[in-house]
Amino acid sequence: MANIAAQRIKREFKEVIKSEEVAKCAIKLELIDDNYSELKGEIAGPPDTPYEGGNFVLEIKVPETYPFNPPKVKFLTKIWHPNISSVTGAICLDILKDQWAAAMTLRTVLLSLQALMAAAEPDDPQDAVVAKQYKENPEMFNSTARHWTNVYAGGPNKNPDFDQKIQRLTDMGVMSHDARVALSTYNWELERATEAIFT
Amino acid sequence: MDSDEDMETFEVDSGNESSSDDIGFNIEDQNQNPKDRQNDIEEFVFNVLSTEEIVQHMIDCIKEVNIIVEIPATTTRILLNHFKWDKEKLMERYYDGDQEQLFAEARVINPLASRSSQQPSTSSSMSSKAKVSRRCPPNSEECEICFTLIPSNLMTGLECNHRFCTQCWCEYLTTKIMAEGMGQTIACAAHGCNILVDDATVMRLVRDPKVRLKYQHLITNSFVECNRLLRWCPSPDCNNAVKVQHVEAHPVTCKCGHRFCFACGENWHDPVRCSLLKRWIKKCDDDSETSNWIAANTKECPKCNVTIEKDGGCNHMVCKNQSCKTEFCWVCLGSWEPHGSSWYSCNRFNEEEAKEARGAQERSRAALQRYLFYCNRYMNHMQSLKFENKLYASVKEKMEEMQHHCMSWIEVQFLKKAVDILCQCRQTLMYTYVFAYYLRKNNQSTIFEDNQRDLEAATEKLSEYLERDITNENLANIKQQVQDKYRYCDLRRKKLLEHVHEGYEKESWEYMD
Repeated sequence: MANIAAQRIKREFKEVIKSEEVAKCAIKLELIDDNYSELKGEIAGPPDTPYEGGNFVLEIKVPETYPFNPPKVKFLTKIWHPNISSVTGAICLDILKDQWAAAMTLRTVLLSLQALMAAAEPDDPQDAVVAKQYKENPEMFNSTARHWTNVYAGGPNKNPDFDQKIQRLTDMGVMSHDARVALSTYNWELERATEAIFT
Repeated sequence: MDSDEDMETFEVDSGNESSSDDIGFNIEDQNQNPKDRQNDIEEFVFNVLSTEEIVQHMIDCIKEVNIIVEIPATTTRILLNHFKWDKEKLMERYYDGDQEQLFAEARVINPLASRSSQQPSTSSSMSSKAKVSRRCPPNSEECEICFTLIPSNLMTGLECNHRFCTQCWCEYLTTKIMAEGMGQTIACAAHGCNILVDDATVMRLVRDPKVRLKYQHLITNSFVECNRLLRWCPSPDCNNAVKVQHVEAHPVTCKCGHRFCFACGENWHDPVRCSLLKRWIKKCDDDSETSNWIAANTKECPKCNVTIEKDGGCNHMVCKNQSCKTEFCWVCLGSWEPHGSSWYSCNRFNEEEAKEARGAQERSRAALQRYLFYCNRYMNHMQSLKFENKLYASVKEKMEEMQHHCMSWIEVQFLKKAVDILCQCRQTLMYTYVFAYYLRKNNQSTIFEDNQRDLEAATEKLSEYLERDITNENLANIKQQVQDKYRYCDLRRKKLLEHVHEGYEKESWEYMD
């Protein structure tokens, strides 16, 4: 790994550990291997959003050419968000692409992601299904996102109605995640979700 | 001042241009109608620039503007690039409009306004403005990219005052240049800052000769590509560009010998115009013509849909597809079973439907035939043109042979001239078929077609003469015939072009959609 990249990550890592956000448990950063090329990030769901109370894990890969090229970041925790793929966890955020600047750091990336969770940009979506729901049925979006946070990110808000519908499908032999995706996609209409799964 | 230079260079160039077609036949050229001659070359000023000359031209452009506006050359370059190297437009905006806005649009800091306030930071002494980390000892700064403490004299930045260490700058620029192929549009490394990095800064910070060379290529390329008056020679591996005084569909000849249309970059395509040629090329590239052929010449098996071309036999079809083997009637496409033994006629045929189907197929076939007619002739001449090298070689052999038959060098030059004219005629003929394909029939188009036919016949005759064996006995005779023929061809070619140009002026050409 290039000298600058490793040196940078080393310094950044120290800085994040000492930062006030870590003290407040808003972000977290862990090393995966010894040569600083792969890290694990964690962001707390921002308050007053459906993600509140959840903990979201990120995979961060540092390219050889870092910091002149952006780190590759994706969500490992499943999340219901217009700019993040509900399938792969891929993120659509300008600073991780052409708006990346060499003077940005992993800390700024984590904080930007946290900001993205608080303020989605449905007009530049990664996940079209989620974005459509976000724009057309914001209430449905909020409860779906809250439900996903509860199930995958350890959020506190259970939704008995949703859980029950998923149970109906799992009783028919459907995997619970597949059931959740289908129901989320069809605004929790059991009939249409069932139809989508079995056709 | 610039234009004077160009005039001179043009004279040299025009000399080059005509030197290719005639040696020893200048007398003949002078005998020609001067108007014809003019039509062929016309007063179109152009100038071939090598890579070095392009760079020089770029520097001259910058200087020319600099004399007037008095801002740093690096800023001028960015401004000029912003206006696609249109000096007049830049001047107009610079003196008439809001200068601040102009600089912002072009992504540079106004050098006049900032000069006084930023003087200290450009010198190597520590500026109070630069961002200094709290923990920094005096005379050093922390580079926000590599996060290391760097002596202040190794920190640098643009007028926007975002400072990074020289090594990080170098890495940053190298990535942008080598990995992303950016030249003129590299911005400051700071987040959200869109101030452009000027060429002097790039050259100061980047040391690797490979990267510097690539950067220079990128800069030159963007200079040529966004400058309306410049065009790269499209010939492979040629690094020259052609510079003109005004944009016009006109032939230009590069120093490498390639002749092309300045407006569109294709081979010179008189009499057809750029827009029609572009449509034609697209049509020829398009697969739609293949499907057109398939539609006109084939039917599909009613069961497995495999495409079938019927080239003989009766109407009783047995699909050759091994997994299908359906038996059907070619005429009505129905199952064969009820047809019984009527192999050559089908009476199970709805008259109305059949007429319609036949009509549709005929129309489709006619359009295809028409296209193929023009396309074949176009391709034919193109193919013959490609063989010109071979012909030049065989003619050269003949010329040597004739010199053994007690003819002087000058006396055999007519053969080379004949091939030159043959090639010109083929090229013109090739494009007449593109023109003709789009032409709607009227009186003028009939005259055009007559001209075309006449030129084509004469050209083929000339080609045939050049293939003949030359013996001692027929030598004088052949020379006479060849000379007569190529003069005729040349004349007919010019007449044809003249007629088409006249039609353009009088707007007598009507086109198909």
